[in-house]
This record gives sequence, structure tokens and C-alpha cells, in this order.
Amino acid sequence: MMKKSMKKNAFVLIIATLLAIVFLLPLIFMLFTSFKALSEAMSSSALLPKEWTLENYGSIFGIAADVPVIRWLLNTGIVTIAGTVLVVFVDVLAAYALARLNLPGKKFFFTMVVAALTIPGIVTLFPMFYIFRELNLINTFAPLILIYSANTMGVFLVYSFLKGFPKDLEEAAVIDGASLWQILRFVIFPAIRPVVATLAVLTFLTIYNDFLWPSVVTSADEMKTVTVGVANLVQGANFVNPGRMMAATVVATLPALIIFVAANRYFVRSVISSGIK
Amino acid sequence: MRISKTWSFILFLPFLICFVLFLVVPFAYGLYISFHQWSIFGGNGGFVGFDNYVSILTPGNVYSNAFYNGLKNTLIFVAISVIPLVVISLALALVIDSIPDKLKVFYRTIFFISYAVSVTAVSAIFKWLFTGNGGYVNNVMNTFGLGALNWLNDQPLAWIAILIATVWWTIGFNMILFINALDEVDRNLYEAASLDGANWWQRFSNITFPSIKGVFVFLTIITVIASFNLYGQTLLITAGGPSQSTTSLIMVIQQIVFNQNNLGMASAMSMLMGLVMVLIVAAQYLYTLRKD
Repeated sequence: MMKKSMKKNAFVLIIATLLAIVFLLPLIFMLFTSFKALSEAMSSSALLPKEWTLENYGSIFGIAADVPVIRWLLNTGIVTIAGTVLVVFVDVLAAYALARLNLPGKKFFFTMVVAALTIPGIVTLFPMFYIFRELNLINTFAPLILIYSANTMGVFLVYSFLKGFPKDLEEAAVIDGASLWQILRFVIFPAIRPVVATLAVLTFLTIYNDFLWPSVVTSADEMKTVTVGVANLVQGANFVNPGRMMAATVVATLPALIIFVAANRYFVRSVISSGIK
Repeated sequence: MRISKTWSFILFLPFLICFVLFLVVPFAYGLYISFHQWSIFGGNGGFVGFDNYVSILTPGNVYSNAFYNGLKNTLIFVAISVIPLVVISLALALVIDSIPDKLKVFYRTIFFISYAVSVTAVSAIFKWLFTGNGGYVNNVMNTFGLGALNWLNDQPLAWIAILIATVWWTIGFNMILFINALDEVDRNLYEAASLDGANWWQRFSNITFPSIKGVFVFLTIITVIASFNLYGQTLLITAGGPSQSTTSLIMVIQQIVFNQNNLGMASAMSMLMGLVMVLIVAAQYLYTLRKD
């Protein structure tokens, strides 16, 4: 019996490992191609470079660089951090009021949040673009940050988590005469840390990787996020040098990958799925 | 609890303001614009009633041709992508679920990693994999004497390339939700079933699937929505080609805003697209309710 299950485990591990290697091939291709010179990258059928070169990275970071990847990364950093802080702040407070407090019109607001989940993004996107354009805010950080704050999914996520979490501690804190701020700071926030972390990482990645909206509200090269900037390299006449493009893609993707892997443990069971039930 | 109504409302207020400003207002404004002749540069050119909608829905003019072509392509993509996106992620989740616990997190992270990659990076990678001249897949096929294929300029190859890129990019999220659901299946049921001599398929169809059915339905619905929003992959990998056969509905709407400067028409199209999506999701939802 014991032997049989070990055999089965080994079999599953071999399958999973093979699948994992196949799955990682596009990323491996990206990484290795970024170290290939133009002629080799265009003709080679081997993943590993025959001759390793840093010229692709040099052409991105060097003085003669015509691709402001660093500036794009900086923009992405500003936009994602500000946007994530805003979303977490707004959503946690709203979810707490909905789930726990004596909010007037609670039923109406809750229905509103759920109903809004069904509105497809395309319906609001171009009117919003027009409004920001009329306000002369195209090519500023405002549209890049603010619009993510109407994130009903986040409210719903935190709300579901709070609903499954016992009230005893809060009630004890109220009896002890704790203020609203103290309850939030010392009782609620520590308790919901896993769902806040999940919301923060999901929001961060959503904003980091968003494409349509930031490409609509930025036309100046120096205001682009890295996701929009890299898109320019893929299109039209820029699509010439695989090594150079992969180097730009590595630089654009690495920060998100690092944050993802570091925060991966927060995608704990039941947190994401608690929103579904 | 003794926290006053006023304070409760104050906590809710920041979200309410954002919700109104960035969802309610643009939605209402978009609806308003869709009944007008409206350009980005010229603004409101007057009320036209349902004219925009009529142009889009009456076959034969530029707008309806673009709309129906975009809708057709988007529906093709929904039809070919939803089953692989749900089934492959479920299969992966089943493999990972049977891995010993200590290694589970490692494999889970690997298959979820593409979630952190943007659509532009995905497109950059897959365009260089599949492009006809100098693309890696063709280089490999030449090495094996198979001959190159014109992946991005022939159908159905272009759809296949888009589909592979999309599957790679998005199965991780579905997989994670399936793994979470599989984790919650009552293990005692499996033991009872193996004592009864049930085989793998019997266990899957009688125990596993019924237990995760809710998540399965949910994921099918959100995958339909996600596939409907096809944009980045076709814009960047195939540029809507060959001959407009991968031009998605969102690409059409975007062209009408920026190339034709017709926000009124684009808003009407967005409303119609939203309506189609809501109807499809509602139909799916009602269908599963009725079956139960």
C-alpha cells in the first residue's frame, strides 16, 4: 500500500515537472533571447545563446537609449503604489461599514455594489476618457491613478471576509470604551490582514498590467506606464529586433514577477475563493 | 454596536464618492453621449435619438459592418477559448491537488506566475515566437525540416497563436480558484469511494465535480467575460489581421473613437456590447439554475 502511493506520487511529480517546464518556456525564451545579438536571435533554434551579449540591455539603459524604460518604470511605480493605497483605503473602510456598522441605506448600497459588478468596463471607459480630456488631465497621473478606486470587487472581497469573521473581539472592545479608530487600528485591521494583502497584491498587479486605459489617457512618451511603453515596441516599425524587445520585456516584467513571487503566500486558500460563495 | 450612523456613513463616503465619479457618472454620461452626434474635438453636435443605434444595427453601412465583424470575431474567440481555459486549468488543478502538500505551493506558484505578466509582455513574447520571419517556432520547425508556417497571417493559424498566448497568460487564475475548491472537498468521501472500489473517473464525476460545481460555473462565467474583452493580444500580436479576421469588438470601438473621432457612435457600440455581455452571462446563469 505504502509503496503504491509513493509510486503514484513520483508519477504525479514527473507529470507536474514536465508541465512546469513547458509552461515556463515562454519566460525562458524571453530571458535567453534578451542576451542574443540580432542575427542569432533571428535565426537560432536553440534557446541558449551561443554568444552572450549585453548590447540589448545597453541599448535600453545606455546614454543613447531612445526607449525611456526607466522613466516608464518610475511612472508605473508611482501609479501602482498610489492606486493600490487608494483602493485598499477606500475599499476596507466601505466594506467595514457595510458588513459591521449601522450604515443608513445599507441594503441599497450593498445591492449597488453587487449590481455594479455586472457593468462591463468598456461601457464607462471612453466617456471617462472624454471627461478627463475635457478637464485637461490627459498625460497627467490623475486618470492613471483615480479610476481604479471604483473597485467594487475589492469591497465585495473584504466584505465576504468580514462576514465570516466573529464579532466578539469588536464587541468586547466597544464595551471597554474603545474609539472607532482604536477598533479599526487594533482589532479589525490585524484580523483582516490576509484579505487586505490579497486585495493589495491583486490591485497592484491589475494596475501594473493594465493596458487599454493607460494607453488611452497617455500620448506623451514620458507619461506612459511600462506596460503601455512596451506595447509601442511590439507594434509596426519597432518590431525588428527580438533581443532588444525581450530585454525591454524582461525589465518591464521583472518588478511585477518579484512582487508576485514574494507575495504569493498571501494568496491563501479561502481568501480569493471566499468572494465567490 | 454603538458607533453612530454618521460615523458609519463617513467611513463609507470615500468609496461612494469614487463609485459615483468613476462608475455612475461615466456610465450615465456614456448613455447620454450615445444619443448624440458627438466628437472628441467638437463635443456635442446635437441630439440624434436612436440614430447611432440604428446605424450600427442596420446592415450595410460602415459602422454596422465594423460592429458585426468585431462581434463575430469576438464570439469566435469566446467559442474557441472558454472550454480550453476552463478545462486545462481544471486539469492542472487536479494534477497539483494530488501533489504532496510540501511541494504544492511551489508548483502552484509556477503555473500562476503568468498572472503577473502584462498583456504587452505576453504579446511581445508570443509575437516573437510565432512571427513568420525570424520567429522562434518557425526556426525550430525549419531545423526539423518541417518548413515554416505563416502563423500570424493565415487563418486558422492566427487564432491558434492568439489562443495559445491567452491560455498561457490566463489559466493560472482559474487554476488557483480550482485548487482552492478542490482543497475543500471532503477527503472522507474519497476514502469511502476507494473502499467501494471506485475508479478515478467515478470518483471525479461522483464526488469531485459535484463538490466544485459552484466554482466551475463561476469560472465559466468570468472566463466568458474575460474572453469578450479580447483586446491587447489581437491588437499587438496580429494587429487585427489577417484581413480584419482577429479585429475584436473593443478594437473596433477604439478605432471609431480615435480614427473616426465619433464618440457618439462608439458609446452606442459600447452600450450594445455591454448589453450582449450581460445577456450572455444572464443566460448562462439562468441555464445553470434551471439545470439544478
